[in-house]
Amino acid sequence: MTMPLDGIRVIDLTMVWAGPFGARMLGDYGAEVIKIESPRQWDMLRSLGLIPRDEHHWYNKSAYFNHNNRDKFAAALDLSDTRGRDVFLKLCAVSDVVVENFRSDVMDNLGLTYEAVSAANPGIIYVSMPGHGKTGPEKDFVAYGSNVEQLAGLVSLSGYEGGEPMKTGFSYGDPMAGTALVGAVAMALRQRNRTGNGCYLELAQRENLTMFVGEHIVDYSMNREERPPIGNRHPFLAPHNRFPSAGDDRWLVVSCESDSQFAGLSAAMGMPELATDERFATNAARKSNEDELDAIIGGWTSVRGHYEAMHLLQQRGVPAGAVLTAPELLSDPHLRSRGAWVEHTHPDAGTWEMEAPPWRLSRTPGHIRMPAPGFGQHNSYVFRELLGLSEPDLEALYAAGITADDPDETLHR
Amino acid sequence: MPRVYPEIALTAPHPARESSFPAEDRRAPLPGRGPHHADCVESHLMPQPLEGLRVLEIGTFVSAPYCGKLFAGYGAEVIKIEPPGGDISRAHGPFKDALPDPETSALFLYLNTAKKSVVLDIGTPEGRRQFLELVKTADVVIENFRPADMRRLGLGYETLSAANPRLVVISITAFGHDGPYADYESNNLVAFAMGGQMFMTGTQDGGPLKNGGYQADYQGGLNAFSAGMLAVLAAERDGLGQHVDVSVQQCMAPILEATIHYYTYMGRWAGVRRGNHMASFIGIYPCADGHLGIHIMARNWKPFTDAIGRPDLFDDPRFVTQAARTQHNDDLMAEFYAWAAGETKHDVYRRAGAGRAPIAFVHTMEDLLTSPQLEARGFIQRIDHPVAGEASYPGPPWWLGPDGWSHMRAPLLGEHTTEFLGSSAL
Repeated sequence: MTMPLDGIRVIDLTMVWAGPFGARMLGDYGAEVIKIESPRQWDMLRSLGLIPRDEHHWYNKSAYFNHNNRDKFAAALDLSDTRGRDVFLKLCAVSDVVVENFRSDVMDNLGLTYEAVSAANPGIIYVSMPGHGKTGPEKDFVAYGSNVEQLAGLVSLSGYEGGEPMKTGFSYGDPMAGTALVGAVAMALRQRNRTGNGCYLELAQRENLTMFVGEHIVDYSMNREERPPIGNRHPFLAPHNRFPSAGDDRWLVVSCESDSQFAGLSAAMGMPELATDERFATNAARKSNEDELDAIIGGWTSVRGHYEAMHLLQQRGVPAGAVLTAPELLSDPHLRSRGAWVEHTHPDAGTWEMEAPPWRLSRTPGHIRMPAPGFGQHNSYVFRELLGLSEPDLEALYAAGITADDPDETLHR
Repeated sequence: MPRVYPEIALTAPHPARESSFPAEDRRAPLPGRGPHHADCVESHLMPQPLEGLRVLEIGTFVSAPYCGKLFAGYGAEVIKIEPPGGDISRAHGPFKDALPDPETSALFLYLNTAKKSVVLDIGTPEGRRQFLELVKTADVVIENFRPADMRRLGLGYETLSAANPRLVVISITAFGHDGPYADYESNNLVAFAMGGQMFMTGTQDGGPLKNGGYQADYQGGLNAFSAGMLAVLAAERDGLGQHVDVSVQQCMAPILEATIHYYTYMGRWAGVRRGNHMASFIGIYPCADGHLGIHIMARNWKPFTDAIGRPDLFDDPRFVTQAARTQHNDDLMAEFYAWAAGETKHDVYRRAGAGRAPIAFVHTMEDLLTSPQLEARGFIQRIDHPVAGEASYPGPPWWLGPDGWSHMRAPLLGEHTTEFLGSSAL
């Protein structure tokens, strides 16, 4: 069975979350992804695994790293040395895609501009994933994960009713940029299939996420009115909220988009008369009496488990869902049934469960083909087999510290 | 008339060389030209990446339309099949001047740019027949019905595939097409809860919180685009389509930073919501005219304390390392609250940016429309519309050449019905 990206070779220079996650999905769906780390500057996710520093190969055991870097090879190469740069350009010459998410000036300073790389391979698809973009007055500003959603306008729209703007629970812009990488690269590959030309592709993380609030931009430009956060409610629909469930910190969401769904909710709660009560009979009435309605629903939900209430309501056709925790996601019968979590074995890290490739492609499915690479694990494959470097040349690279089989881990403790 | 490009625009030069390729030329319309969508349609100097693809969208509201918007923006012909009353997002608003009109819903206008609108009731035998005729000419179908509803319409994957074996069918649902919840009712709120992102958003006391707008739906749309493009590549290679089954829950659940990774690998799970502060040094603080966001990694402490003019904090033994700052979290948070209250957002953002200190600010919609960065990149475009008038639209999400993206308006309801259904139009 084939995969969509069979035969595509990707050089992954990215670090931390957005880039590595996106490149990993290219690997999940068939690309040969080669991750490049410097002997003195590895991907810092290796350090963020909460692994005791005295364990053998502790830097190969980080779950944070291993989830985001499976289905990749790894080679160590110092790009700041001209000999390392030359080897890198040879690698570009036999590859299809190169992805980087360095600070906006780093690739320029390394002499690895799009011009330089495309001179080595005119068909190359060169992807930059900067925070702000590579142009504009803020291009060199620092933008880490939590800043991206602030710059994208999302935080200003999020928060409890009457409260301050609220961050998301994680660095939301990162996985959205990684997810976008797959579609953007696929488009560039299609373009190359048709024209024979590679291209420069820029995925500014801030702009990618700003697309997720686009209707608010259109609205504001037409009406000049900021819409303050309204918590879990909806501007037009009621009910539409999160309700307490039985148990400690357990919750349920319920929202009705039609009178028939509300009738189902009323019946499920044993209060069918609510559906014809003039306070609640129409969406407009429910919106006007939302506080009263939410109190009634909350009274019913608070004495039931969130899963139980969800199933009772769904059996009546009411959109309802349990607010799932991480442990609940891992044990959720539906995700289990979908094969969302699969057992995985890594030579240094052992056996545990990780997420399957997220999308089900019926004819060309993705697979977890190999565990995340140890540092420098595939140096020989990349330098000898792929690039055909001579033994003396390779020895010289090792001797000069341009490549290494083991990292200088003292730099990262 | 085809737009004339500088030769250099045919393949993108390195973007950092602003002198040879000014940012304002890259994305903004030519001076005095206004939105240039008509030119984009006629220009064949540089094909758009998705030129030649025909996409049928029978999705409603947000997720499928966002997926379709990405296809349309990058050059595919996207035919949006609307029921006689129109996509429900036309009824949803917010509307221009708060006056309900199917042509002035900001939600619809934004999510359906560069598409064509065909009104067709696929719930009737004749409508279904006409739809299947269109399917024979299409490369992609995007839909976000419940699986049971697609079957009831007689438009399950097997039927579509039988009509056109090359067809890529992209299905976006909260739960995917199999499993015990496959036919459960869902929407943005339910998907957000079931995908695990809600539990960790908000404060411990305030309870789980939905993010602003339709974030679960947008995630579904983006994931569907990427997944669908993989299938398009495979179809153009093999001559065979397939079913692309995107479960929003399954896309959302694994991306909770390292929450899942640490839990499954080590059994570690804090189970708390941290509100606006992952730590004192990663969080949001009110300032004089808005809110600042700081995100200080170990190497940023010096530039940060320099940018805010507080060398005393840099030297303070309580705060010398990330570990020390964590240990004295409350002290540092008090310092940051006091500092931020005296700052104004634009001033401190520019000052911090020049010194490479990680301080951003919470951009309101007004801030987005007046952002010097977005302005310089031409990221916010004015697009006219015959009923709604001119408004500002963000895009493109990703830059693939100066004409990679079409800045075209959303269609009027049924604007292209006769073009595709001819005299047999309803």
